[in-house]
Amino acid sequence: MNDVIYLGKKVIQFVLVIVLLSIIVFYMSRLSPGDPLMSYYGDGVERMNTAQKLEAMDKLGLNAPIYKQYIDWLANAAHGEYGISYKYKQDVTVVIGDVYKNTIILGGLAYTLNFLLALLLGIFCTLHEDQTIDKIICKVGVVTSCIPSFWVSLLLILIFSINLGILPSSGAYALGQSNNLTSRIGHLVLPLTVLVLSHLWYYTYMIRNKLVEEIRQDYVLLCKVKGLNKKQIVYKHCLRNIMPSYITIMAISVPHILGGTYVVEKVFSYPGLGSLCFESAKYHDYNMLLVLCLITGILVVFVNMLAQVINDKIDPRMKHDRSEIDWNCNTATSI
Amino acid sequence: MSNLLEVNHLAVSFSTEEGEVQVVRDVSFSLKKGETLAILGESGCGKSVLCKSILRILPENGSIKSGEVILNGENMTKLSPKSMDRVRGKEISMIFQDPMTLLNPTITIGKQIMEAVLIHQKISKSAAKKKSIELMELVGLDDAENRHAQYPHHFSGGMRQRSVIAIALACNPKVLIADEPTTALDVTIQAQILELIQEIQAKTGISIIFITHDLGVAAQLAQRIAVMYAGKIVEIGTAQDIFYDPRHPYTWGLMSSLPKIDSDEGLLNCISGMPPNLLHLPRGDAFAQRNKYALKIDYLAEPPMFKISATHSAATWLLHQDAPKVQPPVRFQGL
Repeated sequence: MNDVIYLGKKVIQFVLVIVLLSIIVFYMSRLSPGDPLMSYYGDGVERMNTAQKLEAMDKLGLNAPIYKQYIDWLANAAHGEYGISYKYKQDVTVVIGDVYKNTIILGGLAYTLNFLLALLLGIFCTLHEDQTIDKIICKVGVVTSCIPSFWVSLLLILIFSINLGILPSSGAYALGQSNNLTSRIGHLVLPLTVLVLSHLWYYTYMIRNKLVEEIRQDYVLLCKVKGLNKKQIVYKHCLRNIMPSYITIMAISVPHILGGTYVVEKVFSYPGLGSLCFESAKYHDYNMLLVLCLITGILVVFVNMLAQVINDKIDPRMKHDRSEIDWNCNTATSI
Repeated sequence: MSNLLEVNHLAVSFSTEEGEVQVVRDVSFSLKKGETLAILGESGCGKSVLCKSILRILPENGSIKSGEVILNGENMTKLSPKSMDRVRGKEISMIFQDPMTLLNPTITIGKQIMEAVLIHQKISKSAAKKKSIELMELVGLDDAENRHAQYPHHFSGGMRQRSVIAIALACNPKVLIADEPTTALDVTIQAQILELIQEIQAKTGISIIFITHDLGVAAQLAQRIAVMYAGKIVEIGTAQDIFYDPRHPYTWGLMSSLPKIDSDEGLLNCISGMPPNLLHLPRGDAFAQRNKYALKIDYLAEPPMFKISATHSAATWLLHQDAPKVQPPVRFQGL
């Protein structure tokens, strides 16, 4: 019963946040200066007179007050119609359907690689704490994480695409080779490298510090007395205990890495949600922008809530606390 | 009977920002099979550090400067970290002051005991589980089968200390170091744990080094007692020697500070002054400043160990043949 209430609360919270997000994005995009007609009619707008412009605005439904536009949009969205993209003159879902996989591949790979490498590197640094190798990794890590990702991208393009000419500088695949795996992998190498270089140290450092702190806990003393060595203590005891915070970090970092992916997509002209998002904001492609923001928003809010739920499940002490409170409530009502 | 454990001229220092702190200075003692040695002393006199250095689990800034620890004829200060891991838990084990933080909060008690069983013995998991349940029964944990799957937060302080003892005994070590195992427990539990330790010693014939600042506990448990002051053993002998024929002024001070139930004195006796700063040890005897019976030489040179009988020796110039005869101020009247 408690689980149902718990879940219900989470769902209500979730819906509220998303509705709020959609209102804010809806208003902000329409209030920002610029001409949405440009994205639909292109240069043709310049040849239109005022009456024609008004008519065009009417056609796109942009003359009504914003709250009315929002209600209309909401009513349509309830039927699964999210409007058309002004720029592509196609249903928003169709345009997104063509490219979302590219972002999932790039973002997903970057995310997995970041956290896998961060974990391994964090453990390595902890096991060699304060030794030369640890110090070197720490220094190099700080430097790489401080360089802005767009600059690293340009640097890598200069070295590997222009000077060495071994890796492509833009796109997700060579022209007409969307099913060629080698081509796709080749196009992924540079963006992935940038995403890993710019995010990896942040998470490695968190893990290293958490572990270094954990290995000074009292229970480690007893583990040593048992005869476990440092490696065994880290793997069997400390790692397990930092996992709740690690998973929380993983969930919270979804928007962080997703944002990084968007920037990198733009620099590498990688056809994905990031490039699309950037374009739609630039060209006042309202429907597109709103849907992309909602997708991102839903993902972020969802993973944050997921982190909370997982956290409750992993740490037995938290579960214990809740059951204790339940017990108290029950006795209170029975009295 | 030969000595199971021998500590010869052990010196341990901590390097701090202000300089080297000599926490243990030239300590020698021995331990026979099945014997209990109590190490008595006030807080900060180096009792715990002495024991941690025997197991080589000192914090990073602490190190053994000189001396040797010989267990079964093998010098443990010379062992590689890897061989040392094999000695800990198997040959020599330790229990600590505060059982509340010593167990890993996210692993069940049973698994933590099993881990200690499995680390030095090649047996199957089910055999290890059986052994761990036996251990839990040995240390007096009721309902061991069910308790096996519970977490440390389900256990009270006394039960956790029992679990820690079970872990320490998992591989039938020959020496158990007990670092004030009853300090953090309330009085009734203290008595139970002391009884348990005595019972286990009777059953297994384990040798025990018992660190305490409680004279009563020392009298109850120990066959031999070493009194420590400012990192040195100032007097060592059988319990009989120390309680009925103490020779060192510091031991006299300890004895007279015991509250007497039949005395109607208003104030309790105490040793005036403070222990010396181990960072800047005074010249001569470290106890001289607080010693009512200090001789001139106490301020100039450290007293050597004077042998009083085959079992009893003390480090005070009062025992020198040229020293004036002093009447000890206390007569032991029982605890």
